[in-house]
Amino acid sequence: MSADNPPIEVHLYGKLRRFAEERDPTSNSIVRLRVTANETIGGVLDRIGIPREELGANVFLNGQYSDLSRPVAPGDRLGVFPDDMQLLYKWYFAKRTDR
Amino acid sequence: MDKILRVNMTDRTARFEELPDEDQHKAGRWLTSSLVAREVPPSCHPLGPKNKLVISPGLVSGTAAPTSSRLSVGAKSPLTGTIKESNAGTPFSPKLARLGIRAIVIEGQPKDPGTFWTLRIGLDKATFEPADRHTGKPLSEVYPALFETYGDPGRVAILSIGTAGEHRLAAAGVCFNDLEGRPSRYSGRGGLGAVFGSKGLKFIIVDDTGAPDVPIKSTAAFDAGRKKLASALTSHDITKPKGALNTYGTAVLVNIINEAGGLPTRNFRTGRFEGATRIAGEAIFAANKDRTGSELYNHACSPTCIIRCSNTLHRPDGSEHTSCLEYESDWALGANCGIDDLDAIGELNRLCNDYGLDTIETGGALAVAMDGGLAPFGDAGRAIELIHEIGRATPLGRILGSGAVATGKAFGVTRVPAVKGQNMPAYEPRAIKGIGMTYAIGTMGADHTSGYTIAPEILGVSGKADPLDPNKVDMARAFQYATAFIDSTGHCLFIAFAILDIASGFEGVVEECNGVLGTDWTMDDVPRIGEEIINTERAFNRAAGFTSAHDRLPDFMRTEPLPPHNAVWDIPDEDLDRVLG
Repeated sequence: MSADNPPIEVHLYGKLRRFAEERDPTSNSIVRLRVTANETIGGVLDRIGIPREELGANVFLNGQYSDLSRPVAPGDRLGVFPDDMQLLYKWYFAKRTDR
Repeated sequence: MDKILRVNMTDRTARFEELPDEDQHKAGRWLTSSLVAREVPPSCHPLGPKNKLVISPGLVSGTAAPTSSRLSVGAKSPLTGTIKESNAGTPFSPKLARLGIRAIVIEGQPKDPGTFWTLRIGLDKATFEPADRHTGKPLSEVYPALFETYGDPGRVAILSIGTAGEHRLAAAGVCFNDLEGRPSRYSGRGGLGAVFGSKGLKFIIVDDTGAPDVPIKSTAAFDAGRKKLASALTSHDITKPKGALNTYGTAVLVNIINEAGGLPTRNFRTGRFEGATRIAGEAIFAANKDRTGSELYNHACSPTCIIRCSNTLHRPDGSEHTSCLEYESDWALGANCGIDDLDAIGELNRLCNDYGLDTIETGGALAVAMDGGLAPFGDAGRAIELIHEIGRATPLGRILGSGAVATGKAFGVTRVPAVKGQNMPAYEPRAIKGIGMTYAIGTMGADHTSGYTIAPEILGVSGKADPLDPNKVDMARAFQYATAFIDSTGHCLFIAFAILDIASGFEGVVEECNGVLGTDWTMDDVPRIGEEIINTERAFNRAAGFTSAHDRLPDFMRTEPLPPHNAVWDIPDEDLDRVLG
């Protein structure tokens, strides 16, 4: 089962680290969970319990700047920054919505 | 009426000239690039007598406009051979503006190389004094002595070079003091410190005692404009108080760019650094809180700044170790060298400030040397020793202090991440293609600040079958022009975060300029002015021998896939050539 459906890693930063067990700001604060078919980034973040108003635009799925509507797949790496920790000119990356 | 202060280092004379009619509306990058292009032979040796340094405060520097104390330094660069403008935020800028000096032009060369001078500038006067008793010393020792002699940081501001500039090394920057008098604000890039060294000019001390306020032709326009800009800056998430820049400093980008897979690691071998969280802005904030016992928000580097992104790093005993540890410096001396020890990075940064070195070029040279086998990646102790070698100008130190390209040649390294001779800063172009376009087409070598960056996917390039949409090429060009305009106003480029999202903020900048100059510019004048600046710079470069063949990224990036995206640089050359035409 786990070989077919490895968990995704959600790397949390800043005030969002409180949703992980490891909260040291110099460490990797990672939540691991298994995703269901057609689950989106937004769905995963809701499941973790992250309030939408604490989210910034800096959300990366496998290193790609992504919209919350983008589907996730087993084994993905998701990086999520809070609203007070975004520092990108908005045109640096095209925002991905597709799989 | 503003003036030009023309300084001749051959006979050590200084005289005030009227600002020519054609330059009445120019300042900052607009004026430095115009004067360099007009007066410097493009084929001259950058360290010879024909090169000239031009220093200019921005159009609204010295006024109450928010975040407006940037100062431009221009010349032909000894690192790149191109025209160069490098700007810094420092009290030096408003002081010069209040003295009515729109530009200082420094020309000639002493007949007795090896002696160094101080230029003292006050209200309607400029005099020389010997500086030799301050040479060969770390700037952290020299600045307090200068403030003791000439007046405190409220009264005077200091421009200087360190030992790297005295030895005319191409990685030498130009150092200015911050509001507290720290020697910490740099026009770092392009080796302009070496040009000062070649002219025997060690310090410029500016004292604005008795100077009037900067005249404003239309107070109504100016006040309306600055209020619009202030409103944009204080409401935008990135630039507002306790926003990202104020809380974490620019180093907040370490974790963000690492997540994006674009943090150049171990001389651009990978785009992720396993030690990123240990050196990021969050780690700096946490270390300072732990070591000083309080949450430390960042400070203003210069008068009028309301973004306040300049940080400090404190030692375990709570004492201040270094300022400012910017994203680029943190990365260049950290991830790019495989170093994940924040205190070691702080020491490397402190030493660069002490010796007068550009942290980006220095970290780039160290990483190339590590790639060539001089030291293992991650060996912080050896990296510290090597920076001391640069500061002392030993033969090895001279190689490293000549930048990444010279170091690559000395060590036979083919992975040299440079464009037009300048090491890339902290964004991997194979992962962030837009920044690669900026590096390639910029007039000053690989530089993240030379033009606002847009993802090629947004532009519609990057291998798509469709030809470039002319409207999107226009957009890329317009952003290049907007950057050049902002660099001429005296505003910090970081206002772009807010004013590109909040249109009234950008209108405010134009209205501020109208207030000071009495012009009636509209937003349509922004691309007109930006285009003039970039065309001036490109014409200089063409005459210096640069062609579209130089607007390219290094070969290894086309063939070596970069983890984790395993991407290569794949933007077609013809697409690059179409952006600026």
